Amino acid sequence: MTEARIHDAGYRRYDGVRLGPAQAVRSLTKHTAQRVMGLRRPARYKTLPFLVVLIAYLPAAVFVGLAAFLPHQLRGQLPKLSDYYGFVTAAIVLFVAFVAPESLCPDRRYRTLSLYLASPLDRTTYLRAKAQAIAGILALVTLGPPLLMLVGLSLQNAGPKHPSDLAIVVLRIAASGLMLSIFYTAISMAIASLTDRRAFAAAFTLIIVAGTVSVAGTLVYALGASKGLVVLNLNRVPFEMSQRIFGTHDADLASVPNAVIVLGMIGWFAIGCGVTWWRYRRLQVNR
Amino acid sequence: MSVVVRAEGVTKRWGTTVALDEATFEIGPGITGMLGPNGAGKTTMLGLVLGLYRPDGGAITVLDRDPWTAGPEVRARIGWAPEHEALPPDVPAFDAVRHLAEVHGLPNTEAAGRASDALWVVGLGEERFRAVGTMSTGQRQRVKLAQAIAHDPALVLLDEPTNGLDPVQREEMLGLIRHVGHDFGLNVVLSSHLLEEVERTCDSVVILDEGRTVAEGGIAELRAAGSTRAELIVEVDGGDDAVAAVVAQLDGLTVDVDGRRLVVELTSDDTYDLVRDAIAESGVALRRLQRRTRSLEDVYLAARA
Repeated sequence: MTEARIHDAGYRRYDGVRLGPAQAVRSLTKHTAQRVMGLRRPARYKTLPFLVVLIAYLPAAVFVGLAAFLPHQLRGQLPKLSDYYGFVTAAIVLFVAFVAPESLCPDRRYRTLSLYLASPLDRTTYLRAKAQAIAGILALVTLGPPLLMLVGLSLQNAGPKHPSDLAIVVLRIAASGLMLSIFYTAISMAIASLTDRRAFAAAFTLIIVAGTVSVAGTLVYALGASKGLVVLNLNRVPFEMSQRIFGTHDADLASVPNAVIVLGMIGWFAIGCGVTWWRYRRLQVNR
Repeated sequence: MSVVVRAEGVTKRWGTTVALDEATFEIGPGITGMLGPNGAGKTTMLGLVLGLYRPDGGAITVLDRDPWTAGPEVRARIGWAPEHEALPPDVPAFDAVRHLAEVHGLPNTEAAGRASDALWVVGLGEERFRAVGTMSTGQRQRVKLAQAIAHDPALVLLDEPTNGLDPVQREEMLGLIRHVGHDFGLNVVLSSHLLEEVERTCDSVVILDEGRTVAEGGIAELRAAGSTRAELIVEVDGGDDAVAAVVAQLDGLTVDVDGRRLVVELTSDDTYDLVRDAIAESGVALRRLQRRTRSLEDVYLAARA
């Protein structure tokens, strides 16, 4: 008769499926998004992100509410969808300054990055997961509010009249919202990659955005340089791009061709991606 | 799998510093100590095992794969607990371990169950929903061990796992490592600069010094390999007279005298009887009678000499 033995019941071998790097990216994306929004964390971590999201949606709720009470003939006075970001620019920039530092800095500060890079993730897939999480969270304030406004207006017959017009507007909102979130993801990841401290990264983000506003403003309006140099302004060029996606533009920038705006966006995006990649390529994680 | 890690002439430089200099060794199943002083190249070797760096020379295979070219596949089967703190302090231990199990490829529900199991195994079942930052150093080391085993790796790499622990915590941690290696059957590589810790915990050892492999093999074999002869240590009460009285009775045996201590060549099992009888005849009190074993320290010092 064989001897019966009871082994430690607290640990079992695992011979089930292993889902590889795709699961690693999914898990890191979800975990990062939860962390940024303060989910599964004490209430104090939820305050700022939820407050900013609320601020971003507030104008949409107000405009939809106004549309419900205003007579039909006055509904035309309501802001257009293409103008929506003008009401929430500060909230978006504040959120940008918060999200990427919260996503990237703790992993380096607490050296959790060494655990991630000892998993199926490598530097590329790690950054991809982080970028997905940051862009997704930023889309909450760049994509969600105009979509909410469109839905609210459409439900009150104050939106586009024909399905084809509605589809075009939806596509423009999607393109514009995703463009903003992806653009600011690249910029804010680059800045957050330069320091381990969240507060410094957030402050640097705001300072750099404000700095580009000053530099571009001085060059264009004080020194009389070409208005094309407005592409240096991180607080203006993406929102101008958004206007042009909606087929309009800032009256002051009418002389700046679309191509210049697009090239400016691509340039900033490339700089953002390049700096981030350069920083993470150089990081030694377990020495 | 008879060889878990094989390094053949592995060289790694950091600038002008040679961290590993044609290191060659094999790590088999069980618990293996990677021993060496600070700067010996242990952590660099662990980084190469994880596929984080490409060797400048030589070849390394881990679980029969090249970790540099098959990094994600290899790392999915490795558990890694670094020397330093690595977990965010504001995250509950369970969330951190579950998330890292998912990152190693486990489906979400499986990861949750196994994270809980792993935390119970390391003795933190009741504490698993506490934030890591509120735990003691010993508890945080246990969480690191839990996250290293939760996904049932084929190889667990532990870098100085007793760093910062008090003697009791250290003892408990070494017990856990033995439990993981011997009872769960996980292959463990324990990187340490503490001889005694490796000697008590590991089945085999790789000794690195200045980036080179200076000894490798089973600890018992390494001790035996260095012994030129078997010896008995005999210590008696009293002064030189007592020692001389015993030596006089040990006629026919090879005896070296070192103060109150006699070292007797152990030629056969009869030697024990002869020593016992000699002490009884001489009428002195016996303090110690022990077969001399070569310690890992002897092996280590001889290898570095």
